Amino acid sequence: MDVQTVNANVSRVPFFRFLNFEVRSLDSLHAEAEMTFDDRHIGNPIMEYYHGGIIASFMEATAAIAVQPDFADVPAKPINLTVDYLRPGVKGPLFARANVTRKGKRMASVSVLSWQTDREKAVAEGLYHFLLV
Amino acid sequence: MSDITQKKMEQIAQMWNARGKGLITHMALEIEEVSTESVRVRMPFNPDFCVDAEQSMLHGGILTALLDSVFGLANFVAIEGVSTMATLDLRVDYLRPARSRADVIVQAHCFRKTRHIAFNSGSVWFAGHEDAEIARGTASFALTRGETSLFDAMTKGKTS
Repeated sequence: MDVQTVNANVSRVPFFRFLNFEVRSLDSLHAEAEMTFDDRHIGNPIMEYYHGGIIASFMEATAAIAVQPDFADVPAKPINLTVDYLRPGVKGPLFARANVTRKGKRMASVSVLSWQTDREKAVAEGLYHFLLV
Repeated sequence: MSDITQKKMEQIAQMWNARGKGLITHMALEIEEVSTESVRVRMPFNPDFCVDAEQSMLHGGILTALLDSVFGLANFVAIEGVSTMATLDLRVDYLRPARSRADVIVQAHCFRKTRHIAFNSGSVWFAGHEDAEIARGTASFALTRGETSLFDAMTKGKTS
């Protein structure tokens, strides 16, 4: 699955267009994406930080693509998620890397890290489960 | 909402309206009920938040964002003397596919508050279908105590 085809699929999902991100790299167990900051992503209008829900949504989107990059209609079905917020997401691009830790016949577990200028300084870390049936 | 002062109600209304930009404005949230016990908020259907090209099913992420926002409101109402707060962690279970164009209702509350931390839980369903919960969430928030309230910062443009 090449990145260009995946991004074409991404652009067909209304909420993914709202998040405004692009997949940067992809292999059988990983996906990496970059989201462009938008005023509609703001949670704290004074500090202009990303809304925590937008960060979690972007991480979920990246995780779903890592699990099922060739989704036809809708992305992989999420079961649940947990997110740790480690630093505020400031105005600017946000990156996410999803790592499929286990993919069985029915279920997948995916861990996701998001950061901005320095990969070592994570903005958030999350664990997502998907139903594959 | 008898246990909330008129002043606090006005602050809440002003704070909500002061968010001229940002996700909460885009979600067009309407407060339905508010008390120190619990808050209930309505989000009108918005095709931007859908996952399918036909725009008939919401993406789970927007429900997560909705829970996070409403937890913040529940804490603001329930806890006095907080200058800022930040989500520490969040867990969301997606209980059913969110397939509807109905408004979304979120009910949330702060079930425990300490000096530094607030604990929240909440439920999400489509208007008129309270018996078919689509998501449930729990979260903890880090509170920063102080005189400069979140409200002052938002309405007067001061950063604390």
